[in-house]
Amino acid sequence: MTNSMSKAVEVLKSFNPFVEEIDDREIKISLSNDKVISALDVLKSIGFSHLSLITCVDWIDDNQFELVYILFNWEDGGKILVSTRIDRSNPKFITVKELWPVARFYEREIHEFFGIEFEGNDDMRPLFLELWDEKPPMRKDFDPSKYSKEKFPDRKYEKDVIKEAKIFRGEING
Amino acid sequence: MGEVKLFFGPNHPGMHGNFSVHMYVEGDVVKRARPLPGFLHRGFEKLMERRYWLSNLALIPRICVPEPDINEACYAMGIEKIAKLDVPERAQWIRMIVLELARMANHLSAIGGVGGPIGLYTASHWGTADRDRILDIFEALTGARVYHMYIIPGGVRKNMTPQIEEMIWKVMDYIESRLDDYENLIFKNRILHSRLKGRLILTREQALEMGVTGVGIRATGVEYDIRKVDPYLFYDKVEFEVPTATDADAFSRVYLKFKELSQSIRIIRQALEKMPQSDKVNVPISKGSALRHVVPKGMAYAHIESARGEFGFFVVSDGKNKPYRVAVRGASYPQGLYGIEKYLPGTRIEDVALWLATMDVCAPEIDR
Repeated sequence: MTNSMSKAVEVLKSFNPFVEEIDDREIKISLSNDKVISALDVLKSIGFSHLSLITCVDWIDDNQFELVYILFNWEDGGKILVSTRIDRSNPKFITVKELWPVARFYEREIHEFFGIEFEGNDDMRPLFLELWDEKPPMRKDFDPSKYSKEKFPDRKYEKDVIKEAKIFRGEING
Repeated sequence: MGEVKLFFGPNHPGMHGNFSVHMYVEGDVVKRARPLPGFLHRGFEKLMERRYWLSNLALIPRICVPEPDINEACYAMGIEKIAKLDVPERAQWIRMIVLELARMANHLSAIGGVGGPIGLYTASHWGTADRDRILDIFEALTGARVYHMYIIPGGVRKNMTPQIEEMIWKVMDYIESRLDDYENLIFKNRILHSRLKGRLILTREQALEMGVTGVGIRATGVEYDIRKVDPYLFYDKVEFEVPTATDADAFSRVYLKFKELSQSIRIIRQALEKMPQSDKVNVPISKGSALRHVVPKGMAYAHIESARGEFGFFVVSDGKNKPYRVAVRGASYPQGLYGIEKYLPGTRIEDVALWLATMDVCAPEIDR
């Protein structure tokens, strides 16, 4: 663990974190919902100022979404994955756009692909998909092959094109 | 004078791939801008969940078209972190050579790409022609010119033969001999100076606020390079410098890429010298045939310094033979979406293509 990471673990002790070491410059800190925003604020102020990514994992068997905030420290190369689990049936969380303005777009993307609402972030227009009418596509219960079969059904040819081609080539008589 | 709505893209010669910006202009100046990504959305993250760990290799290089090797490297490093694999030493050096070659190829095409919007077409011709020499190396090494699928979890696919090493030495000498010409003809050219010097400034505060990485932040005088700060592979065993500039303008962003070319040549030469001779260049990630490979439960984030900045893969495994979730951090995500909305207003219409080109906005990695 780098110096800044041990400092972060020390500072976050009062938040009751569950710390896992992934390698010598990367740890995962799991927190309960209500402590995440203040923990991120603290981490930002002690050097983990670069937000690499906000992403989401759909744990459908536990009926939970896991939100992961990946922070990076430019001073000594420490990475912290701050993770929290939220209820899957009513997915709601709080925005971090006040801390990192670019988070607006990460949250918009998560809203589009997982259907999570971020309170305080009112710009939730679709970002990548156009005229999407199904459940959010990155959820585990969305089946893309079923969707494309329904949406774009196999075309039925009225003519037997193979037979016509054979007649054209003179292989059979029509 | 009223506001007029203009469209930049979805097809524009100044962009990699398809990306659209709606610009509201008054006269020649952009007043408001709205990025519209999604034209290249192919659903990679979902597709990856439906394929085996190793079948994904054919898919992921497509995420970033101009520099595909970084995808394979990040994916492989993520899996190795979760599975706690020890990659053979020679494979690590070969990966470094491949990544630096990819960085050079991308920088050369980026220097060429700046030539287009400003009308200095020599840059485009030279950059493309010299990039082709690097693609020849890739063809000899991996069998493919653009999408190599060469770096696999556990090592690299095939060993590097002495003939290819010889070829790399020669191409490095050739490109080094060209650098003076580039400097004199392109970077001292009046067209480039009058269009780029002092224009399209992105200050340090703005860059840090946005989370810009790569040359965007280094042009403001900060030595932020993941190869130095969070060394992966053997970047801590080679000597190289991180070029920085203080002007924070479009010219220094392009010039830094040019400066990095000679650093990449330095790294490749050191790697070729230090690389041990060995036949073992990969280890399997688990027992059995490649399609039955499983990765133990866990999650990891692996990131590297690509030619455009921090590029990362977040990999989650639930212990089965397919990834549970893979998320991609595109290097140009912050400047491509938030940056366009916030900092494009105020620039002139003719500079918009330059803004996107010098900030390295790469549509395929934003859309994925």
